[in-house]
Amino acid sequence: MGTQSNNLSLQAVDLTKSFGDGAQRRLALRNVSLDLYRGQFALLMGPSGSGKSTLLAVLSGLLNPDSGKVLSQDNGKTVDVWALKPGQREQFRLNHVGFIFQGYNLFPALTARQQLEIVLKWGQDVSHSEARERSAAMLESLGLGSQMEKKPAQLSGGEKQRVAIGRALVKGPGLIFADEPTSALDWENGQQVVGLLRDAAKTQGATIFVVSHDHRILPFVDVAYHLEDGRLQQMSSPAVVAETEVTS
Amino acid sequence: MSYALQTLWHEKTRYAAGVGAVAFSALLIALQVGLLLGLFEMTSIPVDHTTADIWVGANDVPSVDLGRPIPSSYMARLDKPGVQMPELLYLAFANWTKQSGGSNLCTIVGSGMGADDAGAADVLTPEMRLALSEPRTVVVDRSDLDRLGVQEVGDKGTINGVEVRLVGIVSELRSLAAPWVFCSHTTAQEILVVTNPQYRDHTTFLLVRCDSKQRAKEVAAELKKEYPEMSVETADDFSTKTRIYWLTRTKAGVALGYAALLGLLVGALITAQTLYAATMASAKEFATLLALGIPRRKIAGMVLAQSFWVGIVGVVLAYPVVYGLGKLAETAGARVHLRWEVILGASVLTMMTSILAGVFALRSVRGIEPMSLLR
Repeated sequence: MGTQSNNLSLQAVDLTKSFGDGAQRRLALRNVSLDLYRGQFALLMGPSGSGKSTLLAVLSGLLNPDSGKVLSQDNGKTVDVWALKPGQREQFRLNHVGFIFQGYNLFPALTARQQLEIVLKWGQDVSHSEARERSAAMLESLGLGSQMEKKPAQLSGGEKQRVAIGRALVKGPGLIFADEPTSALDWENGQQVVGLLRDAAKTQGATIFVVSHDHRILPFVDVAYHLEDGRLQQMSSPAVVAETEVTS
Repeated sequence: MSYALQTLWHEKTRYAAGVGAVAFSALLIALQVGLLLGLFEMTSIPVDHTTADIWVGANDVPSVDLGRPIPSSYMARLDKPGVQMPELLYLAFANWTKQSGGSNLCTIVGSGMGADDAGAADVLTPEMRLALSEPRTVVVDRSDLDRLGVQEVGDKGTINGVEVRLVGIVSELRSLAAPWVFCSHTTAQEILVVTNPQYRDHTTFLLVRCDSKQRAKEVAAELKKEYPEMSVETADDFSTKTRIYWLTRTKAGVALGYAALLGLLVGALITAQTLYAATMASAKEFATLLALGIPRRKIAGMVLAQSFWVGIVGVVLAYPVVYGLGKLAETAGARVHLRWEVILGASVLTMMTSILAGVFALRSVRGIEPMSLLR
């Protein structure tokens, strides 16, 4: 347990978040607590409108909770992400957080390699040559070595999502959030994407937090949560759940 | 190639309106200023078509056609090293009466008619100069024949009551208000004395040539200092001063300013709208970068870089058209004076407008939120 707590990368403590006022007020998160670890591939499932995206946004430093804490590590120190000033939080995301969204959101004019370069050059003021090398190496590792000079219009959906994964991973973040990363893909490509995310967890020690409706991801994850009506529950062994889903 | 320029090239059709607006602004400004400068070149013709280096006149003369009599004896003041023998130049308004009746204001330009005289207009041929040395003879520009009621050499008119005979017609000395009437010292003096007896022993300008342009500047500076009651200008300065005076006196400059401002405003609005729409079209990509912690100022920088490139491309595209239209206007008889200062000024103004449009378009960047990517 001691080792596990040393490996804690993100901790949510008693998070609540509501939207609207008065009679319109809707609780999206009700006292949600959650521990995530280095190298862990976590999945969050739940019906539409259950608050999944809200939880992802709060955990990743994009949406302020009404109460509760999001604790993480920054340079060996524990920080409360929502106690940081906006500029510090932006810097925290820059240093530690990667995102993958359902839409690929790639610049139409830029090549696959440039989509990654821009993150390094604008985010970390990395030199052009270093950004070029690191981006190329990342795309090689994602199996896109021969596609790196192509623009999004010349890439398939699966390739585009892999470029988006490359963009999230290239700066070497410890926390990677993915919102429905496979929903626009067929299962062959979806499986490849999930495999790459799992590799990132296992080889880079990153924490992967995926929000998805896709039950086919379950066999690949270390831990799965279910969120409904703002309440979070850890699901029993993901593999068992997956088995149940498949047979039912 | 920068990301901004790459985006511009990739999405040419999206940016075309902005680039077109910038090009149109640059074209409008350059052509208008060029046309106006071409027009007002006519006001300084007596300066530009003579070979004097320094013009000396009465104090505070704002323009070559508004000289006042100065004593011809001022000539002695110009006796300085590196300065050649001064010459007189009579230049004043007079009343031309047509043979057919009716009258017209004209400007008498009376100079020496020697082959090497600094005050004689350079387009006067030796034959014309010889003919003009006979008293009561004049040369005018072809474009002014109708206004003066003459048609060919030998025709006559009356100036301030003195009958004169046309002995030559030139074609490069057009006038804006009062036709230039070129004649000798003797003829000019006879005509001008009628309305202003001072011209018995006065002149309007004293002209000198110097050993070099540099010496001319030195002499002009010295004379200004020594004799504050005289205006002393190098030919280049006096030419510019005259054109600027006409530009401001006629309020043509103001009209030009308004038209240019309007062009810039329309250009700025269209460019701002184009950049705004282009940024909003990439809002999701930018939102992803913001989510990744890329500072918003980097994205603002990209929008400003795009506005810079829109400006550059617009200006570059405008100038071949400006030159083409300029040539077209010249074939139609209008002069378009596209000096490098005009091109540079129009480019700088247009670039500033384009970048300003980029600054306006930045409000689109302020509206981008990463949360919008999470449904």
